[in-house]
Amino acid sequence: MARSNEVNLNECKMVVPLNTWVLISNFKLAYNLLRRPDGTFNRHLAEFLDRKVPANANPVDGVFSFDVLIDRGTSLLSRIYRPTTAEEPQLNIAELEKPVMAAVVPVIIFFHGGSFAHSSANSAIYDTLCRRLVSLCKAVVVSVNYRRAPENRYPCAYDDGWTALKWVNSRPWLQSQKDSKVHIYLAGDSSGGNIAHHVALRAIESGIDVLGNILLNPMFGGQERTESEKRLDGKYFVTLRDRDWYWRAYLPEGEDRDHLACNPFGPNGRSLEGIKFPKSLVVVAGLDLIQDWQLAYVEGLKKAGQEVKLLYMEQATIGFYLLPNNNHFHTVMDEISKFVHSFNS
Amino acid sequence: MVLYDSATLGGSCSGSSSSSSSSKPPPLQQRQQKQQDIDGFLAGAGYRVRSSELRKVAQRLERLETAMVNSPADLSQLASDTIHYNPSDLASWVDSLLSELTQPPTCPSEFIMDPVSNQTVVSDAWTTAEPHMPQVHQNISYEQQSLNNQLTVVPAMEEDSGIRLVHMLMTCAECVQRGDFSLATSCLEDMQGLLTRVNTVCGIGKVAGHFIDALSRRIFQGIGGGSVNGGSAYENELLYHHFYEACPYLKFAHFTANQAILEAFDGHDCVHVVDFNLMHGLQWPALIQALALRPGGPPLLRLTGIGPPSPDGRDSLREIGLRLAELARSVNVRFAFRGVAASRLEDVKPWMLQVNPKESVAVNSIMQLHRLLGSDPNRNSPIETVLSWIRSLNPKIMTVVEQEANHNQPGFLDRFTEALHYYSTMFDSLEACTVQPNKALAEIYIQREIANVVSCEGSARVERHEPLSKWRTRLSGAGFRPLHLGSNAYKQASMLLTLFSAEGYSVEENDGCLTLGWHSRPLIAASAWQAVSDGTADFPA
Repeated sequence: MARSNEVNLNECKMVVPLNTWVLISNFKLAYNLLRRPDGTFNRHLAEFLDRKVPANANPVDGVFSFDVLIDRGTSLLSRIYRPTTAEEPQLNIAELEKPVMAAVVPVIIFFHGGSFAHSSANSAIYDTLCRRLVSLCKAVVVSVNYRRAPENRYPCAYDDGWTALKWVNSRPWLQSQKDSKVHIYLAGDSSGGNIAHHVALRAIESGIDVLGNILLNPMFGGQERTESEKRLDGKYFVTLRDRDWYWRAYLPEGEDRDHLACNPFGPNGRSLEGIKFPKSLVVVAGLDLIQDWQLAYVEGLKKAGQEVKLLYMEQATIGFYLLPNNNHFHTVMDEISKFVHSFNS
Repeated sequence: MVLYDSATLGGSCSGSSSSSSSSKPPPLQQRQQKQQDIDGFLAGAGYRVRSSELRKVAQRLERLETAMVNSPADLSQLASDTIHYNPSDLASWVDSLLSELTQPPTCPSEFIMDPVSNQTVVSDAWTTAEPHMPQVHQNISYEQQSLNNQLTVVPAMEEDSGIRLVHMLMTCAECVQRGDFSLATSCLEDMQGLLTRVNTVCGIGKVAGHFIDALSRRIFQGIGGGSVNGGSAYENELLYHHFYEACPYLKFAHFTANQAILEAFDGHDCVHVVDFNLMHGLQWPALIQALALRPGGPPLLRLTGIGPPSPDGRDSLREIGLRLAELARSVNVRFAFRGVAASRLEDVKPWMLQVNPKESVAVNSIMQLHRLLGSDPNRNSPIETVLSWIRSLNPKIMTVVEQEANHNQPGFLDRFTEALHYYSTMFDSLEACTVQPNKALAEIYIQREIANVVSCEGSARVERHEPLSKWRTRLSGAGFRPLHLGSNAYKQASMLLTLFSAEGYSVEENDGCLTLGWHSRPLIAASAWQAVSDGTADFPA
């Protein structure tokens, strides 16, 4: 191994807590086993290795969950997380879809990450993350189990997101008491952040109000090799090679990374000027190699006159939000909470 | 050793921060997690890892990554093999994948040389709670650790080679046990190659070298082992003498036994000591002097020394006897010596000892009884024969000192493993001695034992050490009852140890017996016995 790899490992280990490092490194190595050079994906092994947890209608730390089948045709499942209230600490099974009682309850439609290929709504890391979101933001979270690449390419994930959005919007029991409307936020990390953006786009002409987008380390890219990609390639768990692999797996065959799914403000992108696009909270990790694309996304929104708040976490790596053992986690959670409760919504 | 990673921040207490809610497991599971020191955050992600093992798991992950990068062709095979391992048990999952990727076959069980020295190589690059305090360290090559105990700092490369060597030794031994000599031979070649990259002056390299030689001997010369203990009686005595000087084991054996004999002879005027292995008679001057100073005056002392016959016509036994007689005369102790030449202890007949019924007899066996444990279907068990006539002498005391080890197991691999552990510890303890040529010759003495344990079988294998617990059973079954060695003996032993030896040796009391060991591993055990009287005293025919 070249000397540079020693340095890589050292740098990486210096900024990440030990258990986070173990977790993400483990993913990295396991994922190496799943991506085949010919572009196929070892789905069976992926499902075997993925640590999953069942829904739990019994509240644990004030949060309970249950799974719903949103679309039979595509077997689209979602996991719903709800907070218990002081008045009714324990709901019984018939009351899972009991109406939310508060004046305003944010409903966060969450798209898990995994570069379009990995993980599920019932992956342990995401179940845990969604529960934390419920507690910290006092929100209902709907985690969408969208179809994944390479078996299901663009636009399947966006289609599923759109289906889920329509479903959430039409649940009477999710309507806030104040205005009998569902207060919807779209959120996601990595590929989930990308999905949130595109679902919000699709919602624009539909009449469904999306109050805000929360993009955690969103997955964007482009044909060009940016400075951050070159500088950080392989240094913090992620390589350009694996990024390229996932785009090749998601994008339609024959398309390059300037496809609008990958590069929304690129040559094939759509202008958002004059469009009523939701306000966005974009979190960028300073050690994420695709940050130049994420920052370009923020710039693109700003140039189009859209409201966007950038949270640039300098010493954060990918996955920092998976374990609450660092300051970035708490900062970001606070910001998300403020975002979904801000008085403008 | 302090591990300063922020897993301790909250990770190992199951997400205890009050503001963050995690999908915490029910209280019972939480308590169990805490007890087992399971990292709570990783548990929430579906992985069970002990906080104390995080660092080790991280290092293994690094190695796994390196291995995967180095063998991309094997990845698809590795992928299909991973289904055999539980992904939640991350530590063993990573280890299993590592062992899949890093052929040749690994050893059947983890071999821990010294539980402390395993920790010498630690990469320091893990973050503290404040990420803005970067520490720059080299990950690989030589690390210095400031430790507050007496670890030696081992360069990472060397420790790896040392551990590899141990693994290979185990593999080779396992091949030998299975009879796969061709694989064993190629193992030997690999090990000899590895030896060139390891420091063989001390530590694992040195003792491994001896074991490699012994295995070599076994594989190529067979288990007759005629030449192993070859070496004249003169040579043996010389090596023994240097072993006596270089480390405290024999000194401990002698003064513990002497103390017990002295106490047993209290009030007796005619005493007879039977020494099963006279050698240079190093044990007896001290006893003679102690008897001389006895309140009430010394007894009449007879000493019968057993030893191998001298091939060159010299009567070496008699020569030793004469020297001891000189000493006795000089301190006014009435003394008589008799030598009994026998190449094997089981060839000695009690009538040769000419025990007078009016005498108080002490039988003294320093590392001799185990030689009688080889069983030959054509003969009666020698140990039983000998113990039986010892009993018939009705000795006031029988002092027994034996190696505290289990080197007489039927399975070769088990024996080999035990011996590797035992002699590694003994070699470690020898490092404390710097006096030459004692040390070098003492090492040869030990090396001969190793060779006998490893490369011999049947009647040729005489180093059949068994631990104290087994001797207790055996001797009780043969009609002996234990005599407590007493706190005097313990105090004496401890005191003499501080006078003669380096730090690290430890004397322990074990239910009336005393053991001497290196750090917490006993290496030699001393005990005292008396025949249970059944009313008859009979010399067997």
